Amino acid sequence: MGNLVQAELRKTTTTGLWWGLLIPTAVLALGWGLSTGLLGKYFVDFASTSEVDEVSDFLGVTPDQWKVSLFGIARAINISTIFPMVFGALAISGEINRRTITTTFLTAPSRMQALLAKMLVYVLWGAVYGLAIMLFLGIGVVLTSNAGQLPDAGGWVTLTLVCVLSSVLMTMFGVGIGALIPNVAGSIVLLLLYFLVIENVLHLVLAYLEVPAVIGFLPNGSINGLTGSAAVDLFLSTAGVVPPEIEDVLRAIAGAGGALDWWWSGLVFLGWSGIVFAGGWALTQSKDIT
Amino acid sequence: MHDGSGLIAVQNLTKQFGSVTAVQNLSFTVSPGSVTGFLGPNGAGKTTTLRMLLGLVKPTGGTATINGRLFHQLGQPGRVVGAVLEAQGFHPARSARNHLRVYAAAIGVPDAQADQVLGLVGLGSAADRKVGGFSLGMKQRLALATALLGDPQVLVLDEPANGLDPEGIAWLRTFLQSYARMGRTVLISSHLLAEVEQTVDQVVIISRGQTMFYGPLDQLRQSQQRRVLVQPSDVNALANALRAEGVHAIEQLADGRLAVSGVDSKHVADSALRAGVSIYGIQEEQVDLERLFFQLTSGQFAGHAPAPYKQQGGWA
Repeated sequence: MGNLVQAELRKTTTTGLWWGLLIPTAVLALGWGLSTGLLGKYFVDFASTSEVDEVSDFLGVTPDQWKVSLFGIARAINISTIFPMVFGALAISGEINRRTITTTFLTAPSRMQALLAKMLVYVLWGAVYGLAIMLFLGIGVVLTSNAGQLPDAGGWVTLTLVCVLSSVLMTMFGVGIGALIPNVAGSIVLLLLYFLVIENVLHLVLAYLEVPAVIGFLPNGSINGLTGSAAVDLFLSTAGVVPPEIEDVLRAIAGAGGALDWWWSGLVFLGWSGIVFAGGWALTQSKDIT
Repeated sequence: MHDGSGLIAVQNLTKQFGSVTAVQNLSFTVSPGSVTGFLGPNGAGKTTTLRMLLGLVKPTGGTATINGRLFHQLGQPGRVVGAVLEAQGFHPARSARNHLRVYAAAIGVPDAQADQVLGLVGLGSAADRKVGGFSLGMKQRLALATALLGDPQVLVLDEPANGLDPEGIAWLRTFLQSYARMGRTVLISSHLLAEVEQTVDQVVIISRGQTMFYGPLDQLRQSQQRRVLVQPSDVNALANALRAEGVHAIEQLADGRLAVSGVDSKHVADSALRAGVSIYGIQEEQVDLERLFFQLTSGQFAGHAPAPYKQQGGWA
C-alpha cells in the first residue's frame, strides 16, 4: 500500500496540474480576502452612524468591535475550495481519459488498493490546498481590515482547521464524482453547475417552501455549514446576547442558512463524499478497461 | 501465492459485449522458454483475450491464468507479468523517466530500475523529454520499458511491432528471443503472420473468437505438403517413371508442368535422368504460411468483390 501511495504522489508531482490549479485558488482567496476587509470596513463605518445604534445594542458591542471579517472568510473558503474539488475530480477521470488507468491497474495488487492509495494522496493534497487558501485569504483580510474586525488567535486556529477540513472533504467529493462520471469535461461541468448554480437555486426554493432545515443536509449546504456555522459561532462568542432572528440572518450572511452545527455539517458532507466514492469505486471495480 | 511456473493457461474463455461475442470458448496454453505468437485478423478477439488474461476485462465465462492464478490473485502482478497493450496511455506532460519512476514505485522496485530499462530499450537519451513529443515507435519502446520494470517472468505484448521501424522490429525480435531463452514466457499478438514468423516458435491462431490452430510453427508448416513443380521434355514418360517408383501424387498443371507431391526435387530429377527425360525447369514450391494463415482465418468481415456494373434498361 505504501508503494502505491508513493506512486500516486509521484503522479501528482510530476505534472503541472497541482500548481496550475493552486495559482487561481490562491489568487481567488487573496482577492476575496482583500474585498472582505474593504467591505467590512465600509459596513462598520455605515453601522457606526446613529441609525443602526439599535443593532449594536442588540449585539452588545460597538460596531468597531464586530468581527465582520469572519463572514467574508467563511464565504471565501466556500468558493475557493471549488478548485481542490476540481483537482480531485481529475484524479480518476483524467487517468481514464488518458488511458493511463491500464498501467495503474496492471501494477497494483488490486483495483481497490489503487483507488484507496489515490484517495489518501488526494486527502493530502486537499490539506495542502486548504492551507494555501487560508494563508492567502488571511493575508488579504489582514491587509485591508481594521484590527477590531479580525478574529483572535483562537479564531484563526478554528478557521484554519475548518478551512483545511473543508478543502479535504471537497477534494474527496471530487475524487468520488470523477470515478462515478469518468469523463473529464462531464464531471467538472456537473460539479461546477451543481455547486455554483443548481444547489443555490434549490436553497431558494427550500427557503421559500419554509423548510430551510433541509438545506443543511444537501452537499453544498452541509459543506457551507461547516465553515459558515464555525464563523457564526466565533462571531457570537464575542457579540454578547443575540436574538434568534438576528442569528438566522447572520447565518445566512455567512452562507450557512439552514445549516447544522459545524461538526454535524462536516459529518453530513463526509457522508456525501463517502456515498459518491463508494459508487465510483463500485463502478471502477467492475469496469472493463478496454 | 503463485506457482512460478511461467505458464499461461486460457480455458474455455468467453467474452460477450452486449450481443457481440468477442471471444468464444477459447483454450490454449503458453509455456515458458519460447516465444508464442497469438495471431488472428483484426477483430478476432486477440486484444480482448489478452485484457482478460491481465484482469482488465472480466470474462463472461472460463478462466485465464498466469502461474496458475487469476491476475488479481498474483499479489505483486508487476513482478510476475509485464504487458504492452494497444492504446496504453501516457501523460503527455510527464517525462519518460518520471513515467517509469511512478510505476517503479507502484511495483516496489528501486528508482535505478527506471534508468536501467530506459537504457535497455534505447531511450536513455530521451529520458527527460516529455512523452507528448514522442513518436509512436518511441512510445512503444517506453511501453516495453514499463513492462520490463518489475523484471517479470511473463511478457505479454499486444501488436508490439506497431509503429516500430524495421531496425526496431529486428531489435525487438532479438530481444524477445533472448528473453524467452532465459526460461521466461513471451506471448505476442499480431494480425500479420509474416511480421512475427521469424520471432515465434509456437503459434495460437484465432478467428471469430475461436482457436483455429495451436502448436509449433513447424507443425503448421508441415501441415501443408510440399510440391515439386517440374517442366520435363516428356510429361508422360516422367509421370510413368515416377509411378513405377510408387509416387502417385502427380498432377498435371494447366501450364504443362507436373506437380509432384511427397518427394523432393532431387528425387524427381534423378527419376527423370533414369527415364531419359530432360528437365527444362524445376522448383520446390515454398510453403506459403501467409496463405495458410489466410485460409485458417478467412471469412470474418470478408469483403466482396465489387459487383460488375450492369446498365439497367438502356437504349440498345
